[in-house]
Amino acid sequence: MSSDQDHLQETDTEARFEFKKEENSAVRSGKGLTEEVIRMISDDKDEPDWMLERRLRALEQYHNMPMPSDWPGMPDLSELDVEEIIPYIRPDVDKREGVDDWTELPDEIQDTFDKLGIPEAEKNALSGVGAQYESEVVYQNMQEQWEEKGVIFCNMDEAVREHPELVKEHFMTTCVPPSDNKFAALHGAVWSGGSFVYVPEDVTVEMPVQAYFRMNSEGMGQFEHTLIIAEEGSEVHYIEGCSAPKYGTHNLHSGGVEVFVGEDAHVQYSTVQNWSKNTFNLNTKRAICEENGTMEWVSGSMGSKVTMLYPCTILKGRGSTDTHITIALAGEGQDIDTGAKVYHNAPETSSTIESKSISKDGGRTNYRGLVHIADGAENASTAVECDALMFDNESTSDTMPYMEIEESKVDVAHEATVGKIGDEDIFYLQSRGLDDDDAKKMIVAGFIEPITEELPIEYAVELNRLIELEMEGSLG
Amino acid sequence: MSAGTQVHANLTEEQVREISGDLGEPDWLTETRLEALAALEELEMPDVIRTPGRDWTNLHELDFESLVDPLNAAENKDQVGPDEADVLSWTEAVDEHEELLKEHFGSIVDPQENYLTALSTALFSTGTVIYVPEGVDAEDVAIRTEQNSRSLFNYTLVVTEESSSVTILERQSTGEDSEARSASSSASGDEPRAADEQYYSGIVEVAAGENSYVQYGSLQNLSEEAYNFTVKRGVTDTYATIDWIEGNLGTQLTKTEVSTELRGDSSETQIVGAFYGHNDQHFDLDAKVWHRAEHTTADLVTRGVTDDIARSVYEGVQDVGSDAWDTSSYQRENTLMLSDESEADASPKLIINNHDTEASHSATVGQIDKEDLFYMTSRGVDPRAARNMLVEGFFVPVLEEVDVDELRDDLTELIGARLRQRD
Repeated sequence: MSSDQDHLQETDTEARFEFKKEENSAVRSGKGLTEEVIRMISDDKDEPDWMLERRLRALEQYHNMPMPSDWPGMPDLSELDVEEIIPYIRPDVDKREGVDDWTELPDEIQDTFDKLGIPEAEKNALSGVGAQYESEVVYQNMQEQWEEKGVIFCNMDEAVREHPELVKEHFMTTCVPPSDNKFAALHGAVWSGGSFVYVPEDVTVEMPVQAYFRMNSEGMGQFEHTLIIAEEGSEVHYIEGCSAPKYGTHNLHSGGVEVFVGEDAHVQYSTVQNWSKNTFNLNTKRAICEENGTMEWVSGSMGSKVTMLYPCTILKGRGSTDTHITIALAGEGQDIDTGAKVYHNAPETSSTIESKSISKDGGRTNYRGLVHIADGAENASTAVECDALMFDNESTSDTMPYMEIEESKVDVAHEATVGKIGDEDIFYLQSRGLDDDDAKKMIVAGFIEPITEELPIEYAVELNRLIELEMEGSLG
Repeated sequence: MSAGTQVHANLTEEQVREISGDLGEPDWLTETRLEALAALEELEMPDVIRTPGRDWTNLHELDFESLVDPLNAAENKDQVGPDEADVLSWTEAVDEHEELLKEHFGSIVDPQENYLTALSTALFSTGTVIYVPEGVDAEDVAIRTEQNSRSLFNYTLVVTEESSSVTILERQSTGEDSEARSASSSASGDEPRAADEQYYSGIVEVAAGENSYVQYGSLQNLSEEAYNFTVKRGVTDTYATIDWIEGNLGTQLTKTEVSTELRGDSSETQIVGAFYGHNDQHFDLDAKVWHRAEHTTADLVTRGVTDDIARSVYEGVQDVGSDAWDTSSYQRENTLMLSDESEADASPKLIINNHDTEASHSATVGQIDKEDLFYMTSRGVDPRAARNMLVEGFFVPVLEEVDVDELRDDLTELIGARLRQRD
């Protein structure tokens, strides 16, 4: 590793996320949450009545639910004032539902995604790309070969109009109902944008599809909804990336993700989360797995001020499988409270959770996880492994797993370790000629390798660069 | 969610004054009790784990009003120990060691920590104080409590001076034809649900002086109609060690915490637990350690069996404070499920605020290994005997940690008896 070259890359990466653009919007809602705002959003989207009704019902549920407060060691949400958040901003683009050619976008948006390297990645490694700017998807494209096989990859607003049966059946009904939690209800009321992915029976989408979410405006909330339906025997890998420039006031991201994994289907959902450090990132992500289906969650959380995210898999069908790979890195002022939830509701189901967290400069990471094995889920097995690395004494690393076992024919194991970076490891690397900084970076890279291995190479590189960037300046 | 509108409405200052007066307590103790009584209004039940759709233990369902009978406590008690140490009943301690009580009573377990500790403080009518002077090694201290009344509130204080050591074995059981069973059914004939039920509440405080060693073994074998709430907590001075052994076999519902605050540099603690739940027993067991000084070590080991429709709930906490440099902290919990209908919940938690820490925890839940069973039966052992041997073997790693022979033998025997009773 030549550190000159590294330095160049890092500066480059930093510049790529930290720039801001003048806000240039066509429609912008007022602050806060009133029926008026909801009607305005729905109206601006020209939505059918049933969706408006769902939004209004979710709004009511939101107002009726208390803020969660009794979780042990819960992150501080007191600075989050939902009433001050602007829930909806439609950027000024000519064509609604997104263009399929980057050059048709207004210069400042095109420029944004160019800097993020999305068009470049699309050429090289992806089956399809969606890009959301503020509340709207501005670009959406999928390679023809997949369209011909019946794969649908479009933005969620379009799906409401073009595929109403599928959306009506699956949108915030059995998977993530708005009543699930306060922020799911909020999401149900103000959601905008996001992706709809439909993979027909026995189709394997060989290259990943990607969505990129960007918040540009100050004080806004982004509430994109992602719905993935993978029919029997199909296979798809969905990647999402997120970023925003930093402002003085808080942004809120409260996405909703619902994944339906059909019989023998395989879905991988990867997230590289790099929200700016003034963002509250409170998401609800859930998958339902049918017989012999496989769900894989891969999450890297580097950004945000507070993250509360516990991707959940419901193993509903016999023999279905879940894998969670989670990495969290919390620096100064960050509280990354993340983990996993798995419900084993059928026999022969299995789950594996691997969590790696790094805390430094006073940051806090917490693994919060729940594994529930229902009565009758015979021969279910689960293995949970949490490893945490701490850099200094101002930081905090917590582990809070919960296991609920109602079935006796099971194999349940949970393990966790917390350690510091070993002086001996650093000494060894230094004796091989690395300086202290590079030695620590290398140890961190090794620590998270199981995660990066799961990602396509371009994203592994990206993740590594982000982590190196986060490490920069804190070491030595 | 204020818990006990039901009980404290029935309790009066006069009752508390009567209990305190009968024990010959000084005014400050009576006051502490009365303050605890007054606080009931505001206090919450002890924390239990709640996850979406599931309360791990529900203490609110307990019918305290009919369970608590403050003025009719009855028990059979043995309090014995070697001459070098003071092993005193509560009234003796009030007479002889008032200064000691003043210093330590309520200093480790805050009487107003929660509703049930306050209830226990207001109403306890029996207790034991163990005082081990400097340099004394006191072996074989034994406390046996046989509950013979509907409710019994017990208090225990252990104080060890510098470089002393003590081994304590405590047992709780329910009297065979206890008054509780006959008397309560006539006293509250209109409360059929509680007719045969008892409530046992215990608070144990241990102050381990510099370089002293406390081993506190406890074997809870109350009747299966009993409810049990116990908090055992110790604080260590420099170089001190507190080892807890906690055996739980009795009661229909137990909520218990065994914990140590490692307050002195280079102090250590071990918490060893064994439980065996059957029928509809519910055990909610907490093991907690707070590392609050440098070079401290903790080792938490719990093993248990659930059978029939029994349910176990385990919460383990290893909390490392920001000044706890060079901490080592380990935790293991294993549950073996013998029946299809039993349930086992576990939550081993790590809270780490100092990076100079080596910590790990693990928890497993499973059933008897089929291959092990197959191996045994292929050697001619009949399946039932093979299963019993495997369960007994499952407890061995915990039993090995028990230094008190008597406790180990008793635990082994009770586990064996329960297994044989199964057939």
